[in-house]
Parts: sequence; C-alpha cells; structure tokens
Amino acid sequence: MGHRTKNHAPVRSPPSVPGLPAPSGRTTIRLVDVHFGYGSRSVFTGLDLIVPEGQITAVLGPSGSGKSTLLELMTGQKTASRGRVEVAGEEVGSLSRRELFRLRRRMGVLFQDGALFTDLSVFENVAFPVREHTRLPEMLVHHLALMKLETVGLRGASTLYPAQLSGGMARRVALARSIVLDPQIMFYDEPLVGLDPIAKGMILRLIVHLNRSLGITSVIVSHDVPEMLETADWCYLIAEGRVQGAGSPSSLRQVTSPWVRQFVSGSAEGPVPFHYPARDYAADLFGTGRSA
Amino acid sequence: MKRPGALFQPVLELLAALGRRFHFLAVSVTLIPSVLGRPRSFIEQLFYLGSVSVILIAVGGLFVGLVLTLQFYSALSRFGATSSLGGLVTLALLRELGPVLTALLFAGRAGTSLASELGLMRATRQIDAMEVMAVDPMRRVVAPRFLAGLLAMPLLAGIFSAMGVLGSYLIGIKMMGLDPGVFWSSMRHEVSFHSDFMNGMVKSLIFGVACSLISLYEGFHARPTAEGVGRATTRSVVISSMTILALDFLLTSLMF
Repeated sequence: MGHRTKNHAPVRSPPSVPGLPAPSGRTTIRLVDVHFGYGSRSVFTGLDLIVPEGQITAVLGPSGSGKSTLLELMTGQKTASRGRVEVAGEEVGSLSRRELFRLRRRMGVLFQDGALFTDLSVFENVAFPVREHTRLPEMLVHHLALMKLETVGLRGASTLYPAQLSGGMARRVALARSIVLDPQIMFYDEPLVGLDPIAKGMILRLIVHLNRSLGITSVIVSHDVPEMLETADWCYLIAEGRVQGAGSPSSLRQVTSPWVRQFVSGSAEGPVPFHYPARDYAADLFGTGRSA
Repeated sequence: MKRPGALFQPVLELLAALGRRFHFLAVSVTLIPSVLGRPRSFIEQLFYLGSVSVILIAVGGLFVGLVLTLQFYSALSRFGATSSLGGLVTLALLRELGPVLTALLFAGRAGTSLASELGLMRATRQIDAMEVMAVDPMRRVVAPRFLAGLLAMPLLAGIFSAMGVLGSYLIGIKMMGLDPGVFWSSMRHEVSFHSDFMNGMVKSLIFGVACSLISLYEGFHARPTAEGVGRATTRSVVISSMTILALDFLLTSLMF
C-alpha cells in the first residue's frame, strides 16, 4: 500500500473498499478509513472512497457534509488525522512539500468562485501557471493561453479583468487556467453554484468535453443532484462523516436506503432532519432554562 | 487551583507567536535571491509601495520641517544661537524624526495596504489557488513585497528628511531672515555622514523589515472573512507602530 510511482499513470488494481459498490477500471484516487475534524467537530469518521481513472466521479451531499474538505484532503491542502489518502499512487499525507507540489502539477482545481487573480487580466490569469512552471517562449505562452480561452469560449474576453466578468464567465476563465498545463486529474468544487441555467449548461458541457476528449479523471463535489446524475459516471453520497451511498447514477436511483432516496429526490421528509438539534421546544419557550 | 504549567501558558503562547513570526521572516529572507532572479514583480511592488506613500511622506516631511524650525528658532533665539538652526533641525530629522515618522506613516498607508491585499487574497482563495497550482505563495506573493517594503523605507525616509530640510530652509531663510550660508554651514558642521545619516538609514532599514514583516504576516494569516481582513489590517498598523517605537528606543540607545 502507498508505494510511490515515478510514472504518471495510476497503478492501483481495481478497488476493494469493503461494504461499498466499486467502480470498474483502474483507480486514480483512493481514500481508506479517513478521519478528519476541525477541533472537536468531526467531519469524517472512517470515510472510504475510490475514484476511477478517466471517469467523472461526483461526490454529492448536503451543505456542511464536508465535500469541499474532501477535495482539500485529496489536493493535500489538509491532512487526514487518520487513514490514507492516495492520489495517483502516492500517499498525499506523507509527501514532502516539494513532492506534493510535483504531484499538484498533475492536478487542476476549479474553485467555487474561480479564485482568479484580481490584479491580472483574463489572459494573464490563464498564462500564470505556464509562466510559473515552464520557460516557454512568450509566443508559445500566448498561443497556449489563447487556445485554452478558445476552448472555454472566452478568447474575446482575454483583455478583461476578473471584476468585469459575470459569475459564469469567471468560472470558465478559472477552468481555462486550471487546464492550461493539461492536468491528469481535475477537481471541481461546486462548479454550478450561483450560475444561471445557461451558464450551468456551459460548464457541464465543458466538464464532459474535457473528460471525454482528454481522458481527464474528474472529481466533482456538488449538491446539484439532477445535473450530477446526468453528468457523472459514478456517484458518492456523503453525510455524517461517511459514504452513505455509492454507484452509477442509474443504480443510485434504485437504492432503497431512506437517506439516499431523500437526497436524490430532494424531499424535505426523511432521515435528514430539518431542525438543527435543540432542546425541547416548550422548555425553550416557557421553561426556566435560557436559550443560547 | 491552577496547574503550575498554566502559569507559564501566556509566556509559551507569546514565545510561539514570536517563533511563527521569526520563521516567516526567515522564509522571506531565504526567498530574496529567487525574487532577484525574477525582478519584475519586486520592481512593480517597489514602485507601488513607493507611489502610494511618497506624497504623504513628502508632505509630512515638509510640515515637520516647518514646525520644527519654528519651535527651534523660538528656543534658540533666547540664547542667541539661531546660527545652529540648520544643523539642529537636520540632526533631529536624520536621527529620529525621519526614520520614525516615515515608518509610522508607512505602516498606516503601505502596511495596511499590504495586509488588506493579502487578507483579501486569502479570503477570495487566491492564495489557495496558487498552492494547488504548485506555486509557492511565499515566493510569489510575500517575498517580492517584503523586499520592496524593506528597500522602500530608507528611500522614503530620505525623501522625508530632504523635505523637512527644505521646509526648515523656507521658514528659516525666507521667513525668519537667517543667512543661507550660516544655515548650510551649520548643517555641514553639525551633521556627520557616518554617525547621523548612515545610522538613520540603518534604522529605516530595520523599521522596513519590521513593518513589512508584520503587515505581510498579519495579511497572510488573516481569517478568510470580511471581519478577519479588517482585523488583520488593524492589527498590522497597531503592532507595527508599537514595534517601531520600541525598536527606536533600542536602536537609539545602541547607536547614539
């Protein structure tokens, strides 16, 4: 377990996390018995998850279930307190900063709000990783950045600044920036949040296009259930620190677990409570105790 | 009853906080060669920090020179020693007021700008974006700003003192009617290049390190919220000002 590989290809054999349906094919990311928390608040209590190579994997869950934290564990921004996080055959938690940066050069991350550099133009934002990691002549940097901007349909906006872009456009520029060095793994953190239906459609089309044409392994964390069930090849539903359901979109629709059914159908009734845990209502209203 | 260890807890926390800042300083210093290897961002930052502060510093220096001359003239004229005015004003500016007031103005203008810029970069996840792009934000963001702040301070202190001398000249010669030759020769006679000018520059350089380090540290480690950025900005100016005044006492007792 956890052996290092020098080549870029994932080497794990088909996954076998006990108790979970397993996606077919080779594994790019594998989380085993991962525990993580913020102070006394536990976020993950034994999370097991596998991301197959070259497919789109969606991680679904309600707000606050730790989806973004999961991405941060995969990219090495956070370290699990227990368990193992393996990405492309390397155990992320045991890497030195230099090794982690070497691994990250094979990753692309699309942040929820784009996280564009506000003092740089659209073109400069996309060219930034190329300039930082390569010594390519300026003409090639120019070509590369414009090609990626053309891919996301924003070549014409190359001279604009992030403050001049709509939410959807900013997300597309951030996508162009994250793919400019042709990553092998793409992480999308809530890529559809706050977008209108047209912009959502554009982003989803780009995610699928990048995955199918370049064979990029894609991990999307989202709570947009219908869109993800349409787009993903494999889905995980997480809540209460664990994976509550896993499978292909069609199989998830058949799952009988009340939790999964409630989440997939978006119902207000079910095991996921509407109310935050509180003491007795009558006692709060009329009792002797004081509320917070 | 408190555990014996709990009594030392505040001391340990203070030492830990100092340790984190010195580590931040050490990393920034070790990254200076890489900044000089790609000087564009450093030059941009030097230009930016200089340009946001220069008007404030120049106007501040001019008025301090004007006021100082009025006060000194009034005191010196009682003893018939107004011929020493030029030297006295210049000494006060080069040794104390130039470095200290420049640093305080720099902390209020450029320091808060650095802290809020980095705090906003943290809040809008631009620093996280660099990290996941395998770009070290300490090298790309902090080190050029640190070097620029450290070099901008002596340059700005020089401008402050020069403007102060100009203000003193305007009041002393044009208003009070002192002889220009006496004014300049007093300055040449009283002021030593090494012990006054250079020590003032060394002070400024040290204030530049302290001010830049504190502002960058507070901004870089700001909580990623609107309140966090505001707090980091305020902390940067308060801690910088206190540090400058404490360092000034220490350096003056060592130098003069």
